[in-house]
Amino acid sequence: MTKYLTLIFKNLLRTKRRTILTILSIAVSLFIFSVLVSLPTFANQMLADTTSSVRILCRTKMGLGYPLPVAYKSKIATIPHVVAVAPLVIYGGIYHEVSDQFPSVATEAKEIDMWSDWGLTGVDEFKKIKTACLVAQGTMRRFNLHVGQQIQLRGTVYPFNVTLTIVGTIDKGPVPSFLIFRLDYFEEAAGNPGIAHEFWVRVDDSRVVPEVCAALDNQFANSAAETRSASEAAALGSILGRYRIFMKLAEFVGLVAVVAIGLVAANTAAMSIRERRSEIAVMRSIGFPSGVILSLLVGESLIVALLGGAIGCGVAFGLFKVFAFNADALGPFVSLHVPPFVLAETLGVAALIGLFSAYVPRACSRETQHR
Amino acid sequence: MNATDDITTEESSAVTLDHVTRTYKRDEFEVRALDDVTLDIPRKSFVAIMGPSGSGKTTLLNLVTGIDHATSGRVAVGGEEISTMNEREIAAWRARHIGLVFQFYNLIPVLTAFENVELPLLLTHLSKADRKTHVESALKAVGLAERMGHYPRQLSGGQEQRVAIARAIVTDPTILVADEPTGDLDAKSAEEILILLTQLKTQFDKTIVMVTHDPRSERFVDAVYRLDKGVFTGAEKGGVSAKATAALQISA
Repeated sequence: MTKYLTLIFKNLLRTKRRTILTILSIAVSLFIFSVLVSLPTFANQMLADTTSSVRILCRTKMGLGYPLPVAYKSKIATIPHVVAVAPLVIYGGIYHEVSDQFPSVATEAKEIDMWSDWGLTGVDEFKKIKTACLVAQGTMRRFNLHVGQQIQLRGTVYPFNVTLTIVGTIDKGPVPSFLIFRLDYFEEAAGNPGIAHEFWVRVDDSRVVPEVCAALDNQFANSAAETRSASEAAALGSILGRYRIFMKLAEFVGLVAVVAIGLVAANTAAMSIRERRSEIAVMRSIGFPSGVILSLLVGESLIVALLGGAIGCGVAFGLFKVFAFNADALGPFVSLHVPPFVLAETLGVAALIGLFSAYVPRACSRETQHR
Repeated sequence: MNATDDITTEESSAVTLDHVTRTYKRDEFEVRALDDVTLDIPRKSFVAIMGPSGSGKTTLLNLVTGIDHATSGRVAVGGEEISTMNEREIAAWRARHIGLVFQFYNLIPVLTAFENVELPLLLTHLSKADRKTHVESALKAVGLAERMGHYPRQLSGGQEQRVAIARAIVTDPTILVADEPTGDLDAKSAEEILILLTQLKTQFDKTIVMVTHDPRSERFVDAVYRLDKGVFTGAEKGGVSAKATAALQISA
C-alpha cells in the first residue's frame, strides 16, 4: 500500500485550499463533538464512581445553607449499619481576593478517614495539628501552594478569619478545588455554635444505604430540623440532574454537528471524484481493480477525516487542560477533561466520517464503471 | 471467405472477433453498435480501424480491451478468450496484456511524467528500483528521457501523448490499443506520434490497434479495417510505414 501513498497525497494536495478547509471543518465539528460529549461523560463517570459508595449525605430538608445541630451525630451513630459519622461545616472563605474563592469546609479530625478514597496525604498531621488543612490539587496548582505553607482565609459567611497550615493534599476528590480544615478550630473561632451543614455517614454495606437513609430521616422526622438523606451517588445525581437537560442538549448538538459535517465532507469528496471521473476511468482502463481505486479514495477520505479529528480533539484536550488549570474556582465542572475514551471515540467518529464520505465517491466510481 | 484472410495467412491472430454483436439500450430504442463482426488482427501488425462517426470503432476497441462485453459472439485477444472473464480477471488481464493510449492523453495532472508512466507498474510486484528502470526505458523509447520530472501542464500536446504512450508500453503489453491518438494534435505532432507507433511496432514487435479518423495514418499502418454502421466492411493493406520510418530517420 505504501507505493500508493504518493498518489494519495498528491491527490489530497491537488486542491490544497479545499483539502485544508475540509480538514478544518471536520476539526471544528469534532472539537465541538468531543467537548460536548465530554460533559455528560464526565457526569456519568462521577455517578458511576459513586454507585458502589457506602456513604450517605444527610442534610436539612430546608436546604444546604441551613445548619443541623451537631448533636445529631451521636443519634446517627446509633442507627444500625452506621460505622462512622462526620459532621461538615461550610466555611466559605476567600483567599486574597474576592475572585479567589473555593469551597472550604471543616470536619472532625478523627473522621477524616471517611474520605480515605480521595487520595488524602498528610492525614496523620491533620489529626495532630489543630490548624491543619488538606487542599485539593486543583487549588494547590491554581495558587501555587505547597505543603507546609501557611495560608489565611477571610470569612464571608462567618465574621472571622482562619489561619491554616497545609499539611497534605487531596488528590482524587470529586471536585478539583476545595479545602478541608478541622472542625474543632472552626468551633473555637466561631464560639462553639454546635452546627453542621451536613453529615457524611458511612455504612457497612452499600446494599443497606436506602434502608439507613430511611432510618436517618425517620429518626429526625417531626423535629425542628428534619433531614433529607441520600446516597452519595443520589446526592451527586441531584446536583448533576439540574444540568442533565443541558447535557442531553449538548449530546444532541454534538451529534448534529457530526452529521452535518459528515454530509459536507461527503459532498466535498463527491465533488472531488466528479472532477476526477475521467482519471478514474483511465485508471480502471489501465488495469486498476475497482477495489484498489476504492481503497485509494477511502485512504484520501480517511486521512482528511482523521487529521481533522486529531486536530479537533487535540484542541479540545489542550483547551480543557488550560481551562481546568486556570479556572478551578468555577465549581465541579472545571474538572472537566476530555477522557481518553472520548478521544478514541472522536477519532472513531472521524474515521466514520471518512468512510461515509468515501461511500459517495464509491457510488460515483461504480456509476463511472457502468457507463 | 473472411476479408482479412489475405493479411492473416502466415501469422496467428492477436485479436479475433467471431460473430460479435453489441447492442445498447437507449431509452426504448435498441442501438446495434456492432453487428455480427468477424475479423482477425495478426500479431505484430499495426492496424487502423477506420470509419465514420457512429460506425462502432470505439465499441470494437472497448470489446478488445475488455472494457465492454459483447452482447453475443466471441472475443479472443492474444489467444485468450476474454468474453467469459469476470471483472477481476479482466482487470488483471488488461493490466498484463493491454496498453491503452487515448485521444486526450488522460494523464493524471498531479503526477509527473515519471509518476504517470509508473502508474500501471504499481499493480505489479516490481520493486521501486525495478519500476524506475522500466519507467526510464519507456520514457527513453518515446524520446522524453529528459522530461521525467515535468508535469503534464509543462508539456506540449505531442509530448503528453508520448508520455501516454510510454505509460501504455511500460508494462510491455501484448497489444497496444490507441483510440484517436492523433485526434487532438496538430499535423506535425500527429505525424511524429504515428512514426513513434510505427517504431514501437518494429523495434518491440508490438501489435498495435488504432482507431482513427485521420486519413494520414493509412500511410503508416500495415492494414486498414473499415467499419460502417456497426458492420465490418473489409480490410485493406496500409501504406508505406517502413518508408515513412526511414524518411524520419534520414531527416533526423
